[in-house]
Amino acid sequence: MEMDGGSASAPAGIEADSVSVRQGRSKIIYQFTQQNLPACKPVLSPAWVISIFFVVGVIFIPVGIVSLHASQTVVEIVYRYDAECVPESFRSNKLAYIKDSSIPKNCTKSLKIPKDMKAPIYIYYQLDNYYQNHRRYVKSRNDQQLLHGLKYHDTGSCAPEDVNHGLPIVPCGLIAWSLFNDTYSFYRGIDELKVNRKNIAWESDREHKFGKQVYPFNFQNGSLIGGASLDPNIPLSDQEDLIVWMRTSALPTFRKLYGRIEEDLDADDIISIKLLNNYNTYSFSGSKKLVLSTSSWLGGHNNFLGLAYISVGASFILIAFVFMLLHVKNPRPYGDTTNLSWNWKSMSG
Amino acid sequence: MNCDVVICCRVSPKQKASITRMVKEHSGKTILAIGDGANDVGMIQEADIGVGISGMEGMQAVMASDFSLPQFRFLERLLIVHGHWCYRRISKMILYFVYKNVTLGLTLFYYNIFTGFSGQDLYDDWYMTMFNVLLTSLPVLSVGVLEQDVSSDVCLKFPALYQQGQRNICFGWKRIIGWILNGILTSLTIFLLNIYALSPSAITKHGYTADMEHIGTITYTSIIWTVNCQVALMISHFTFISHILIWGSIICWYIFLYTYDILPPTYPKIVFHVFTEQIGPEPAYWIVTLIVVIVSLLPYFIHIVIQRSFFPMDDHIIQEMKYSGTDVSDGPMWLREQERSKQMTQVGYSARVDAKIRHLQEQMHRKRKSFYSS
Repeated sequence: MEMDGGSASAPAGIEADSVSVRQGRSKIIYQFTQQNLPACKPVLSPAWVISIFFVVGVIFIPVGIVSLHASQTVVEIVYRYDAECVPESFRSNKLAYIKDSSIPKNCTKSLKIPKDMKAPIYIYYQLDNYYQNHRRYVKSRNDQQLLHGLKYHDTGSCAPEDVNHGLPIVPCGLIAWSLFNDTYSFYRGIDELKVNRKNIAWESDREHKFGKQVYPFNFQNGSLIGGASLDPNIPLSDQEDLIVWMRTSALPTFRKLYGRIEEDLDADDIISIKLLNNYNTYSFSGSKKLVLSTSSWLGGHNNFLGLAYISVGASFILIAFVFMLLHVKNPRPYGDTTNLSWNWKSMSG
Repeated sequence: MNCDVVICCRVSPKQKASITRMVKEHSGKTILAIGDGANDVGMIQEADIGVGISGMEGMQAVMASDFSLPQFRFLERLLIVHGHWCYRRISKMILYFVYKNVTLGLTLFYYNIFTGFSGQDLYDDWYMTMFNVLLTSLPVLSVGVLEQDVSSDVCLKFPALYQQGQRNICFGWKRIIGWILNGILTSLTIFLLNIYALSPSAITKHGYTADMEHIGTITYTSIIWTVNCQVALMISHFTFISHILIWGSIICWYIFLYTYDILPPTYPKIVFHVFTEQIGPEPAYWIVTLIVVIVSLLPYFIHIVIQRSFFPMDDHIIQEMKYSGTDVSDGPMWLREQERSKQMTQVGYSARVDAKIRHLQEQMHRKRKSFYSS
């Protein structure tokens, strides 16, 4: 790198005297006003270009391999159940089935575990085509009320789910009203697998955003039931399903944590799932899936990151080689003068 | 209007102004007027750029002008050094500003494709407010104030570099559209890579999935990094101020994020503790940021590599000459190029005559040599 102290083309004698008496900060100010600050002027030469591409490629490929490996060690089972759990007689009219509360919504399915799964095994429910990120939906909540409960009155943002029969609703808003209410229980043979439903929400939410003295009040009392109802004796900070649901997701296809299984599952185990198919996703062609997944240091099963790193690293190395070939074939001598624009003109005209 | 030089004497101020106006209208070019007395004020104000000389005749010209100089000879420095630098600085600054706002804004538009076009923002309000105030505005100021492609003595020695401004090389339509396309491509890369890498599966070891706040914060971090590193790629003259402003802006973002999310939860609404608890400790956050930044900067980097290697511009070649020291080691070449660059800018009749005479002399010299040697 060239360090350019800068030499101004000004009367040399006077300049030298005045610079020599300046020190420290006034020297820097002088250099700044004269635009002579010491500077680094890197020049992009072919050697630098090739080495940058090569080094980045060589760093990226191992990172990609490690990420891909982490993703491949995760065992994930995705099972779509919303179509299969509708009884035969209602297959052509699923909406009538789901809205009729007298029809039992039990459903039993079985899954085969493809590979060994080490505890903890995370259980998620995945919803598709569900726009939790719609602006009106995201707005429809009130954080002050979640923290302070009935003491807080200004719940206009939750309309129309803020007041019912003249009484305020706690927690108010559409997000809480549409709480997911399918439930799952898992059996291996005749033994029930214990599902840990604690600590599924972020700790900061449980400790600081949902009040420990706030209890559900007047919730899901209206004519239109949107989802689950809440036990009015449990404070909001312990209602972890609600807390998880209230974190609106970014995309229309999302997963939310339901619980975790603290035991290992072996390959070829048959797990039977007893689920209650309560939640209505049929009216908007959404779908519901149950996901069982282990995790790695990088998270869940997502090959995208590893593959992206590997492909970017490989293409960088390819670009480095291509550039090296081009440079070797048509070298442009460093700082040669034939490319200066005034020399083209004299050569051509 | 067909003359190269016109001399007028005994003209009144009004006549000076009307001459200037006439030249402006007929030629359509940018006019500079320089004068030192009160009778030049009309001319100075009529021209596009007025330069006043302070000194013997008082301060009227100085007060009416855009630039003022103490001596007439500094006009050369004003145009060739400062004019050249300012042209490049302002072009780069404006194009970069457009680029970075296109990058931020388009990610919001792409996100709305996924929200049913409802108008939901991906980022918290305060993030977006801080974008143009604190997080990305200062580095581009360092470009606009401090950027130099070549140093001032080189500018004076190679006046042909000034023609880059006259030919509008740095701000032509190709460049404008190029930067906007760069912004479109960058925003697309950032958005898609973040969306596909972070959902729908979990992003942490403990099985938590990424919500709107997490994806928003991680995407925004990628944007801040990309946009600031783009400034670093654009600058060819790195002072310590540039470094402080560029890397300081990125550090500011992290400081802001940290401070914002430890405020009590009623202020930052959803993003409470998003950095300290939720995404900061996760390797996925940092790994995604790294690849997104590198891939987004790749198109511009390849562009400048190809340009510098195969289609270099004058200032690139001069930078290379200075960098490799051939200006010192190959003195005759340096002086020769200076002379050649000066020849192009002379438009006088006598200079052409001199050139023609020189050309004929060379021809005669060659003929004489071949006559004697045969």
